[in-house]
Order: sequence, then C-alpha cells, then structure tokens
Amino acid sequence: MELFTNLTYTYFLLIPLGVFIGIFFGAIPGMTATMAVAVCLPLTYSLNLQEGLALLLGLYVGGISGGLVPAILLNIPGTPSSITTTFDGYPMTLKNQGEVALKMAITASLFGGLVSAIILFLFAPLLANFAIKFSYIEKFLIIFLALTVIASLSKNLLFGIFSGVLGILISLIGVYSIDLGGNGEFRLVPDFLQTYLHDGFSLLPVLIGLFGLGTILEEAEKGVKEEPMSKMDKLDNQERFSFKIFKGQFTNLIRSSFIGTFVGMLPGVGGSAASVLAYTQTKNFSKNPEKLGTGAPEGVIASESANNGLTGGALIPLLSLGIPGDSTTAVLIGAFTLQGIQVGPLFINEHLSDWNTIMLALVLANIAMFIIMFYAIKYIAKVITVPKYILYPLIIMMCVVGSYAINYGVMFDVWTLLIFGLFGYLGQKVGIELAPFIIGFILGKSAEIYFVKSLESFGTYTIFFTKSPIAMFLWVLIFLSIAYSIFSAIKNSRNQKLQ
Amino acid sequence: MFKSILKKGALLTAGVMLLAISSELFADGAIKGNLRIVIGSKSTGGDTYQNSSIVAEALAKKLDINVKVDATGASSAFQALDRAGARGNTIMIFHDQAYLGYLYGKKGYFDIFSKYIIGPSIAINPGNAYLVPKNSPYKTIEDVMDACGKGKRVRVAIQPGGVSEIGYTALKNAISIKYPGKEVNLVAVNTGSQSAKNQLLFDGQADLINGSVQGNEQYTRLPADDQKAMRFVWLTARESTIKQAPAAGMGETTRSQLLKFVNPIAKVPFDSKTDFTFDKEFFFIYNKKLDPKIIAEIDNALSEIYASGEIQKVQKKSFFIPDFMPSKESEKYFKEKMERYKKIINTMR
Repeated sequence: MELFTNLTYTYFLLIPLGVFIGIFFGAIPGMTATMAVAVCLPLTYSLNLQEGLALLLGLYVGGISGGLVPAILLNIPGTPSSITTTFDGYPMTLKNQGEVALKMAITASLFGGLVSAIILFLFAPLLANFAIKFSYIEKFLIIFLALTVIASLSKNLLFGIFSGVLGILISLIGVYSIDLGGNGEFRLVPDFLQTYLHDGFSLLPVLIGLFGLGTILEEAEKGVKEEPMSKMDKLDNQERFSFKIFKGQFTNLIRSSFIGTFVGMLPGVGGSAASVLAYTQTKNFSKNPEKLGTGAPEGVIASESANNGLTGGALIPLLSLGIPGDSTTAVLIGAFTLQGIQVGPLFINEHLSDWNTIMLALVLANIAMFIIMFYAIKYIAKVITVPKYILYPLIIMMCVVGSYAINYGVMFDVWTLLIFGLFGYLGQKVGIELAPFIIGFILGKSAEIYFVKSLESFGTYTIFFTKSPIAMFLWVLIFLSIAYSIFSAIKNSRNQKLQ
Repeated sequence: MFKSILKKGALLTAGVMLLAISSELFADGAIKGNLRIVIGSKSTGGDTYQNSSIVAEALAKKLDINVKVDATGASSAFQALDRAGARGNTIMIFHDQAYLGYLYGKKGYFDIFSKYIIGPSIAINPGNAYLVPKNSPYKTIEDVMDACGKGKRVRVAIQPGGVSEIGYTALKNAISIKYPGKEVNLVAVNTGSQSAKNQLLFDGQADLINGSVQGNEQYTRLPADDQKAMRFVWLTARESTIKQAPAAGMGETTRSQLLKFVNPIAKVPFDSKTDFTFDKEFFFIYNKKLDPKIIAEIDNALSEIYASGEIQKVQKKSFFIPDFMPSKESEKYFKEKMERYKKIINTMR
C-alpha cells in the first residue's frame, strides 16, 4: 500500500509516545491536551508533517483520555471535558468500583474515538458544509440545550437553577472581550481587581478548585480516620471489570459518540459542552435516571465516549474548512502552518496522502491509548491505596502547579484555585450545587456571545424561533429536555412523599 | 559501601550544579539562561506564532540558548513584559496592533513608545485582505465605496482594535473623501476569530470580511455556487511588498494575480493626494529596564542571521516578506508609522 511506504518508523513510534505523554498531561490536574500539544509543537519543526502530526494527534487523544483518571479516582476533572465523568466515576470509586469505572471509561473512550474517526474519514467535507449552517443562533440554541442539564442534574431544582445562574454570572466577570466581538468594557469587576480579572477567572483553576480542593477540604473536615476509602487499602477489595458491563449500553455508546463528534465539529462550542450534552441525553433516555450521579456506569460511558468522539469531530472543520473545532485543534493548526501547509476547503483533495496519514494516526492513537491505559490502569488505580495524608498534599501541590502553569505563570490563577476551593467547600454547606454551577460557568460565556451577536445581527428575538429548520428542531429538543426535567422532579417528589 | 556511593553521588551532583551555574554566569552572551518570547496572539496557528517561531529557532541556534515562544495573547504578554526586569529573559514579539490597539483605545493597550523599548522588526505579512462572496455584486473595492456613496449599506466583518480594523477605518475615510457624509453607510460588524468572520459571510450577515491571503485563498478557488466561495477585492499591502513575494504567490493565486488587489489597481484614497496602504509588520518589544547589552546582542545576532540569507528563505516559504531593521531604526520607523495612521483613526472614530 502506497500509504505505508511513505511512513517511517518514527511515525509509528511517535504515536504511542505522544499518547503516553498526553495521558500524563490529561491526568495531572491543571494540565490539558491543549497544553500538551502546545508544549510539543516546537518539536515538530525538526520532524516532517506526517511525523509531527503523529506526535500531536497522539498527544491530543492521550490528553483527552488521561482526564478520566483523576476524574474517576479523585473527583478532579483532569480536563474540562471530563467534568461529567466525575459525576458517576467518583461515586463508583467510593463503591469499590474504581478499576471497573476506569476500564469502562477507557473502553468507551476507544469506542468514541474510533466512531468519530470513521465519521471524519467518510463524511468530513459533507459535515463541514452542514456545520456552516450553524450560525450564532443555532450555536446559542445548542448551548441552551446543554444548559437544560442544570435542571435535571439538580438535587433541589430551585437551588440547582440558582447555582447554574450564579455560574453563568461568574463566567461573565472580566472584560467583554473585543476579540470575541464584545465592547472591551469591564463587567462585574471592582477597580482594584481589574489587573487580575481582565480575562475573568480561568476555567481550569476554577474547575480543580471546586472539585479538587473543595473535596479535599470536605474530607479534611471529616478527619482521616473516618475516610470512606479507608476500607479500600487493598486493591483486592476492588470489584473486577468485565465487558459484560456494556450490556445494554450500545445505544448509549453510539448516541454519545455521535453527540461528541457532532458538537466537536461546531467551531467554538467546545468539548465540555459535548460531554454535558451527551450526559443530559443519557439521563433523559435512561430507564433509571435517578441513578445517574450516584455511580451509574452509563453516565461514565456517555461522558467518555462523547469527549473522545470530540477528537474526530473537532478535526472536521479543521481539515475541511481550515477552522479549528476546539482549543486543542486550534493549536494543532500551528503544526500545519509551521510546515507551510494551509488547511482549508481544498486541503483533503490536494493533500490526499497527508489526509490518509492523519486518519491512520488518529485510529492508531486511539488503539495505543486503549492498550497503554487499559493495561497500565491497575497500576495507576493503586493511587487510591496511598494514604490520604500523603495523597492529598501531593494533589494540592499538583493543583497549584497546574493552575500556575495554565496561563504560562500567572499567580492569580493560584489564588483562583484557592478561592474556588473554599467556595466549593463552603458553598455546598449553604446549598450551592457544584455540578450546575460549573456547567453554568463553562457554558455561560459562549451563551452570551452567541445570544448578543444573534440579536446584533437580526435585531429581533423572533429570529431564534424562525431562523431555520435546525433552530426549530433544537427548540423541540430544548422543550422536551425541560419538560422531562419537570416531570422527573415531580416524580421524585411524589416518590419521596410516598416513602 | 552505601556511604561511599552516597558521597560520590553528592560530589557528582555538586559538580554538575557548579558547572551549570558557572556556565550560565560566565557565558559569553548578555542573555543568561533561557529566553522566553511572549507573543500578542493566543493562537499557535496564526502568523505571529509562525513568524516568531522562525526567528526564535534562528536566535536559539545563533546564541546557543533555549528559546521558547508562548502564545499568551496581548494582554498577558504585556503583563509578562511588565514583570520582566533588566535580565531580559522575557521579551515580546507583536505586530502593528501593539500601537493600533492603543490608538483605538482598546483595553490593556498602552503607548508602547513611552512604556517599552521597541526592538528590531523582523518581517511583513503581506496577506491582510478583504473578501466578498464570490457571487457578490461588488467586483472591486471601489465598487464597495461607490455602493456606500449611492446610499447602500455595506456591512464589514472585522475584529475591532487592530490590523483588522485599520482597513475598515481606511475605507470609511476614503468614502468620506469621495462621497462626504456617506461614510455612515459602511458599517462594522464586530466579531472575533477568522472562523466567525467567515461564518458571517456564509450566513449573509456581512457583505465584506477581513481575512488573509494565507487563510482564505482556498475559499477563492471554490465554484461560485458553493456557499463558502469568496473573492479577494483588496489587499492593504504596498505594491512594493507584494512584488517581493515569491512569483508562485500563495496556493494557486500567483503574485501577479495578487497585485490586482493592491494599490494602485485597488485604489483607496488616504487623502487628496495619496492612497492608503498598510503593511502588517512584526517587531520585538522589550521591558523599559532591559539591559542595553541584551538589546545590542539581539540586534547583532539578528543582523548576522539576516546577513547569512537563510532565514529569508524560510520566511518567504511561509509567505512572509523579510524586513529586518535594528532597534533604533525600527523604533523611529514605527513611531512615524503610528503618526501616519493616527490621523484617520482619530477622524473616523
């Protein structure tokens, strides 16, 4: 085959190497797939395009997948797109199912990654043409649909919605960036904090503060002796993984992988929205929705197949339009420009051999990710056997280092981590719900941009309903999602009364 | 036995550390340790990163140091520069937006000529372009101005506060010269990334967008019935700049084809006598306290790099026009450049 004759041994070696490094970046709180790709980008100067992309795609797939490890074992989302993995992954760990959750998440990640690679290979130009039908209005409605999850995730509907709105409000702190089409004015920032809050609070320090530090403070309050994981000091106590756990989950896998791929191909919408949307839909379609959030395997499967589905999805606009689908592919585009190659609507036809090597690298990266993680996980899972008085200071140190590094050395990001760690700990005591809060925080800024730009362009609210058949279809989904949440809340309250 | 190994290990570690410290302290160059170049863009796929990487790689080889480019974005890059002292381990590379942002009153921008030291210029990106849909009634940039003159509203998608906006300001200024009072018909649609600008054109929410030869050339080769098809109508670069580009141009658009979108064929009046042109140029920016020895070292290193002629080949391959000017010359040049555009920006505000 001509494809293989063009490829070197280095190409095949760089893929697992990239995956391996990427997993570390994804697994360390504060480090992301985007950071892994950015750090290694200058290395591609000394490689040819195929080899450079092999390394970077390995890092991309590894970085996205690595996030599931701290999400499941420590309740800290390693990357923003593994936020929904914490919802059920960590409760599974608390139920002695840590290894099961990890292996299940890895398998779901492989499935999502391969599905998205197939979709990318078969339909990239076609889907890119479809993606451009999504203007600001349709993108706003997608975000709105993802936000409806707030209602279904809330333990208490009123507090949940309040937490979500609070998250949105806090996401708007800082300058309404001109780079995003805003007016460049500060909002919700006192004068003395303007230097620090120019760009608002960074997502990752907020995320690891709320989930990582918040959880540690909560555990600290309980005291080391009373820790729920103390029973699990030996891995022998762990439940064993079997592929049987996927029985009845095929629809969930397919649906979530498709959602991940679909959201990935919409530039600007982002990976976290993909896993949130997949999680919402899984909850909406679940036979036992009340179990989601308490350690249900289907929640982990939805989240992980969606965020790996994103990898192929985000490459669709990149390779078919020259437009990156998410922040990592935005860095990836650098590899092409450094090699003097322009990606755009004619890229695939004009660079067929490069396109094929990209596809091969993506598939091999997913397989390498599965092999590395699946067989190494029993060693990685040992982290839960480390006594907490050793583990937690190490996690705090990693969180601080990760937060400091995320914006290339900004001390305020460490303060952000501490502030939100404290907020996560104290907030829960007064009823703030963290999941709705963080979803509001992640999606708030995009929702505002798309909403304001839509109004600016069309000058009328009715356009949100009348713009296109896609918009109308999205409204149907939004209404169904809200109706389901209300129905579910009423059902739960009736059940509680009966009990 | 164990003690002996420990002792030898400690001695070896101390030796290595001493060697590392002494090699840094007594290195020949003024720059001690690693060099970090922050750039005014958050994108690693953009021209600022690409250009900076080319120069960083050459500097690293020449000075035998580690050089890293960090895509921090303008605001963070200026803050990093503010924190950098005389030691000079953090410097910045940016383009004309560094002073245009200030002229447009953009938050986080300052008068770079009073707050910082301007370092050498390194290259021009000749690709700052304006495009219309392929089936647009506007065939030339003059058609756009004439349409505004006739009272038609023309929407231009730009990212405000920089190189993207300067073309819009120039167009507005030109309309006010040709058709006084009609410049109000040219309306800016403020947006962010290139993909957002493209999307506005696909949706019919903009009639004209700011783009680049590098980023949009492939769209100009699509058939007219494709929703994504575009056409260049104007490049802001000087004719002399485009003439330095490789004859093959970019993609399948040759240099001679590109020259059709440049002054004097594409005429955008600047005042009653001259036409507007704008070259997007990249240059170094330093902390005010930077040791002059470091400035001299970078100037000298770049002079030698450019004298050898290799870097020019790399820059031209990536569709940049080499444009080296040492610090003093560069500062004077950019100061004058800022003054030239200040007038129309203030008038058209």
